[in-house]
Amino acid sequence: MRPARTPRRVVVTGLGVVASTGVGAVEFGAALRAGRSGAGPLTAFDTTGFDHSVACEVNGFDPAPWIERLDRAELGRAGEFAVAAARMAVADAGLGVEALRALPSLVAVGSTNAESRDFDRLVEQSVADGPAGMAAELARRVNAGRMSSLVARELALTDVEALTISTACAAGNYAIGYGFDALRAGDVEVALCGGADALCRKTFAGFYRIGAMAPERCQPFDRNRKGMITGEGAGVLVLESLASAQARGARIYAEVLGFGLNCDADHLVAPNADSVARCMRLALDCAGIKPDEVDLISAHGTATAANDLAEARAIRQVFGESPPRTVAIKSMLGHTLGAASALAAIGCALAIDGGFIPPTINHEETDPECAVDCVPNTGVAADLRVVQNNALAFGGNNAVLLLGRYQEGP
Amino acid sequence: MRTVISRWAAVSPFGIGAGSLAAGVRERRGGVLPVDRERWPAPVRRAGLVPGFDIREVLGAKGTRTMDRISALAAATTAELLHGTDGARLPGVGSDAGLVLGVNNGSAQSIADFTRDSLVKERPYFVNPAHFPNTVMNCAAAQCGIRYQLRGPNVTVAGGRSSALLALNYARRLVGAGRADAVLCGAAEEFSVTRAWLERHAATNPPVLGEGCAMLLVEPGDRAGRYGRAELAEVLAVRFGVFDTDPAQALADCVRGALDAADVAPADLWAVVAAHDPELAVAGPDLPPVRLSVTELVGDTQAAAGGIGLAALLALAADDPAAAGRVALVSTVDRDGTVGCVLLRLGA
Repeated sequence: MRPARTPRRVVVTGLGVVASTGVGAVEFGAALRAGRSGAGPLTAFDTTGFDHSVACEVNGFDPAPWIERLDRAELGRAGEFAVAAARMAVADAGLGVEALRALPSLVAVGSTNAESRDFDRLVEQSVADGPAGMAAELARRVNAGRMSSLVARELALTDVEALTISTACAAGNYAIGYGFDALRAGDVEVALCGGADALCRKTFAGFYRIGAMAPERCQPFDRNRKGMITGEGAGVLVLESLASAQARGARIYAEVLGFGLNCDADHLVAPNADSVARCMRLALDCAGIKPDEVDLISAHGTATAANDLAEARAIRQVFGESPPRTVAIKSMLGHTLGAASALAAIGCALAIDGGFIPPTINHEETDPECAVDCVPNTGVAADLRVVQNNALAFGGNNAVLLLGRYQEGP
Repeated sequence: MRTVISRWAAVSPFGIGAGSLAAGVRERRGGVLPVDRERWPAPVRRAGLVPGFDIREVLGAKGTRTMDRISALAAATTAELLHGTDGARLPGVGSDAGLVLGVNNGSAQSIADFTRDSLVKERPYFVNPAHFPNTVMNCAAAQCGIRYQLRGPNVTVAGGRSSALLALNYARRLVGAGRADAVLCGAAEEFSVTRAWLERHAATNPPVLGEGCAMLLVEPGDRAGRYGRAELAEVLAVRFGVFDTDPAQALADCVRGALDAADVAPADLWAVVAAHDPELAVAGPDLPPVRLSVTELVGDTQAAAGGIGLAALLALAADDPAAAGRVALVSTVDRDGTVGCVLLRLGA
């Protein structure tokens, strides 16, 4: 499946983060290393009538310093997250905005629900005053494509392909993989890739109703798991060719080694372990890496029984009975939907760069049916060369990303 | 690698199937008709609805109990694309094929209905779990994957009226990177009361709304012939841009970039098909003998506009021997800031 020619190598040179546990790569990385939880009482909407309402909410974040060009009234909460994370990533990469504008670029932002908070409000207004009572300002903000076009407009990019990738909870990995392909093909010189979502009533009510929501905390791979916790935020990565990064002396967090994506074509919500395993193999083949070369797996790890069992089974199919350590940072960040695999990829890049493995927190007792070493509760130092980032979305849309420590040589 | 379009299908305000769209385009017949206000209590009098599109009548009872309109439009189009007139599956488009679908918000109606239940029912979680999947934007693509056993890459993209072109470029890259040998790509939009209200609030001059879905089969050039499919068109270039205040300039830059990349002179264009946001009133390049505005034909089909534009172009080309070997352009403009264009060399 690999292209015949030798494609360009692609590296990660900038990270932007808005998360419940921290803003910016440094704060976010420190929180991951320390195993800090972002969970707390949900304030995003009126939770009256729900018996429990804990979420990983982004509190006290002021996007104003990161929004220079756009009118704030044009942005909903998810848009603010995406734009702020993109600005941060560009600054972190040491890329001058003028230099960035001169390059053909890709902006790929993954999102499950786009401006879902605005959608909530529009429906509230419609319930209260009829559909004529919906606010025009909100109606103008809800189109999903804006999640990416706003980023391009904030940075005044013109020679840019801006697309929102709406492949639910794997969208962040999809976006990074798409940037990888566009850069390798030589179509663009820089790619801003990631994901963003905001907490909303619709998703909370839906997961609550199907019994997928934990009352207090997220415990992936734990025999006492009670389900997921929803979260919000954004993560954006700057990708560019190795040659470009070297020419400008950029810091290289990690190299994108490979990517795989496929579809279960089986069930809308229940993951298929065989198909997830096939996706991991596609990514490994793309990267030319053998399973025993993978040092760490960043799991999708939502802490629902359906996910954890299928994912652990798939990992075992590919990696055998002693798979690499398999951590789930959703234990700390909750499920940030379209942002989830972007934030996890950023976590992987920081782990590679910083020589550590973030823990799976809230862990009591590993589910023997999963039987993975999830690095319970306390992170460890580790020399990581290859890290795999899994994403298993609604609809059986799987995307697996392989990041590695940048090493010179062919 | 040469990437070609070897087949197309559409479900449009002209009806179900490529033939009905081709006939509508040929006759330049308007696809916009008065709306049945009892069925659709929307703030519009006229719209480009797919005539007689009853989900269960079109797709059957199996797997459609809770399917929403956008998923059904996409599924019906996928079925049209995948199956020949004899009902048999196309050769060489097996379970490893990919699917890339452009959408706007998926189904705004499904999202609004679900959220409304949470607000008005006795408990905020008295929502219908069977309808939860419909509120997720990739539901239509996922449904198509399951229904037609497509296990390759399954992707949903959103970029307003540029969505279909973004999907085409995604498909081109999947093929180029060797991630799929054949990719179904296109875009879908449903008409709904909620969408009509949102547009009424969002647009200064609310456009006449349309709906539909168009999909293309994209594969490497040499592969189409191996399976006995003619090259309807070769994808020469796909370009995009983003604008703040000047969509016309952004589109002009975008088109120039595509023409330069493909080494095509503007005077060589045989046709230009515009799938533009009616809110912005941007005209395409005023050069070739054949010009077509998708919106004037079938209403504003939003995410599907570029796909219906591509389908309309291929329909026109099939009708006109003068099109053979010529180059044509489909352009998109969207108020949310994107422009796009694709240059195709039409098959001989």
